[in-house]
Amino acid sequence: MIRLIATKELRELARDGRFRLAGAVVLVLLVTTLGFGWRLAASVAEERSAAQQAAEESWQGQGDKNPHVAAHYGKYVFKPLGTLAFLDPGVDPFLGVTLKLEAHKQNLAHDAPAQDATAIHRFGQLSAASVLQLFVPLLLIALGFAAWTGERERGTLRQLASTGVSMRHLLLGKALGLAGALAGVLLPAVAVAVAMAAWLGGGADPGWLGRLALMVGAYGLYFGAMAGLVFFVSARAPSSRHALVVLVGFWSVTSLVVPRVASDVAARVVSLPAPAEFAAAVRHSMENGLPGGAPREERVSALSAALLKRHGFEGAEAFMDEAMLQGIELQAEAAFEDEVLDHHVAGLATALARQERVAQWAAVASPFLAIRAVSSGLAGTDHAHHRAFQVQAEAYRRALVQALNDDLARNAGDDVWRYQAGRALWERAPVFAYVAPGLGWALDHLGVALAVLVGWLALAWAAAWRSLRRIPLF
Amino acid sequence: MAVLEAVGLRKAYDGFVALHGLDLVIEAGEVFCLLGANGAGKTTTIQLFLGFIEPTGGTVRIQGLDVAQHGLETKRHIAYIPENVMLYPGLSGLENLEFFNQLAGKGRVDRAALRAVLAEAGLQAEAIDRPVRTYSKGMRQKVGVAMAIAKGASALLLDEPTSGLDPKGSNEFSRLLVTLRDRGVAILMATHDLFRAKEVGTRVGIMKHGRLVASLATDELSHADLERIYLEHMHD
Ligand SMILES: Nc1ncnc2c1ncn2[C@@H]1O[C@H](COP(=O)(O)OP(=O)(O)O)[C@@H](O)[C@H]1O
Ligand SMILES: [Mg+2]
Repeated sequence: MIRLIATKELRELARDGRFRLAGAVVLVLLVTTLGFGWRLAASVAEERSAAQQAAEESWQGQGDKNPHVAAHYGKYVFKPLGTLAFLDPGVDPFLGVTLKLEAHKQNLAHDAPAQDATAIHRFGQLSAASVLQLFVPLLLIALGFAAWTGERERGTLRQLASTGVSMRHLLLGKALGLAGALAGVLLPAVAVAVAMAAWLGGGADPGWLGRLALMVGAYGLYFGAMAGLVFFVSARAPSSRHALVVLVGFWSVTSLVVPRVASDVAARVVSLPAPAEFAAAVRHSMENGLPGGAPREERVSALSAALLKRHGFEGAEAFMDEAMLQGIELQAEAAFEDEVLDHHVAGLATALARQERVAQWAAVASPFLAIRAVSSGLAGTDHAHHRAFQVQAEAYRRALVQALNDDLARNAGDDVWRYQAGRALWERAPVFAYVAPGLGWALDHLGVALAVLVGWLALAWAAAWRSLRRIPLF
Repeated sequence: MAVLEAVGLRKAYDGFVALHGLDLVIEAGEVFCLLGANGAGKTTTIQLFLGFIEPTGGTVRIQGLDVAQHGLETKRHIAYIPENVMLYPGLSGLENLEFFNQLAGKGRVDRAALRAVLAEAGLQAEAIDRPVRTYSKGMRQKVGVAMAIAKGASALLLDEPTSGLDPKGSNEFSRLLVTLRDRGVAILMATHDLFRAKEVGTRVGIMKHGRLVASLATDELSHADLERIYLEHMHD
């Protein structure tokens, strides 16, 4: 029965030129945005790996230098592009990709792609994800707003009722028909996306297939929720025209207005320090020690004593060469600076995470916000993934600085600042390799948004189901 | 045996009484024609049989089943032809018939058999595969009759099915009803056409302000008698 109704719905849609056109437009938009996204991603990935290689070469070719001077000279790392970023660039274009790692400093990534937007970059912002998040719901509205009102206005609803078909079967059949029509538009795009992801990710990134599969599932939840709403509104609206106005109104409020308001509210509820303020606070702590903690000199000498003790040199300073003492001193200073940075960065990270949670909760007022968070989270292009990159880069920076200071302590002898290390050390130093977080980690950060998305789906269908009880026949 | 049955059937809208305690029994092979001015309560009666509206009092039964309690089940026995049979304009007559017939729980029926039914209902062969968008009202009414035939309905509920049809169309439609009547279908038809009511009906009822004020067997009646009685009742 349900299949019969679905087949009839599909047949009607397939014969209606307007719907064929609308479906074709969405498919063309999808394939075009996928194509642009893919081309952009391929060139960006190449650019960044070339830049990374150049940075590595300039590091190794920096000539003979004192290791601590080399630590000051620093090293650049570049954020690699995730395999699925071509589908959903998320906030990536607005965040930095270049990170300078150097002694005494924890820099933030800079050079956001959106800053030097060429045409292709700008087009890249109309991504396949935005087509899915914004245009497909419009297509669903166009296909479904008259689902009930249209049957009533054409008089076919009475004819249906006289056959003894149950309204539930009708709803399920209509839903299945709509799903079929949508699948006809989306499945070719999914096939294209899978091929592109395989080409970009290949064997290098084993995680993309699972992420992509979940992404398809998440969009299924989103479209399911939108379809439920469409059926609900169509069942309750006095006319097709009313249904259309209400649905387009809902669409524009939830996908255009609510996101703006939500980010304003999130920014107001959780205030973040301005970059200059943050830098000043860090500088102040660097010079004077952490608030409530010991002043700088005191803390550094405590750390230095602890280091000496750890290495078994306690009380043996007199017998140690200058380089060793200097090396230990440098490490103690670095450790102090790390403490200060950790303190400030942790505060910032907590505030940011709170802000993102507020933004995810805002999805209660907009399914669009829920899918936007889930989609970019699965594509690895949200704030959480950016922070994961910053954290790994920072851990790497510390390992690198420590390796250099270690070498200084071990090999410089009495001539601390005259000592020069060469290519052998630069080659021996650790190399940065970013490991993208796994799927479980990504899902952990998306709990709220996923729950809200499922909530929308459940609510929309409960409403659509309940509305069946009183659909006026005329 | 009573196929269609109303017992003390009442319908009120916010105090306005559209139907005052109707008692009516229509047996297999009977055609009951409901006459009456606009607003008399004919459509209300038919919609109560269809379960489209709920009675304020009394009961409606189809094949002995109370419509209020067995809404979906009673629909297996009936076919409904309104003033305008509404179909899906993008589908052909055959596709519409196939769809509604399967919805009625008839399972898959061979398309050749459905074509034969459409032909029996008088639809021209060349029209069967055309989209219904291109059909005249008469052609749509014929698809409605075909739906009733294919379904094997034991009762037919017709609400002014020939209003606006040309005399030939109206005549063809009446002949179809006679065929169905002779097969034992119970028919309730609201109409303004006294002539057809006398031709097709086994009984006619005259309704006024929600009451059945007269019920007459047609075989004892001439056209002139019927018209005279009808007009007498219409005087206040
Ligand atoms: N939904 C309704 N609300 C209020 N009054 C109604 C409604 N439907 C019908 N009526 C009234 O009931 C009466 C009978 O209507 P109806 O059965 O359609 O008459 P007929 O079909 O004989 O022309 C009319 O006076 C009509 O105005
Ligand atoms: Mg009427």
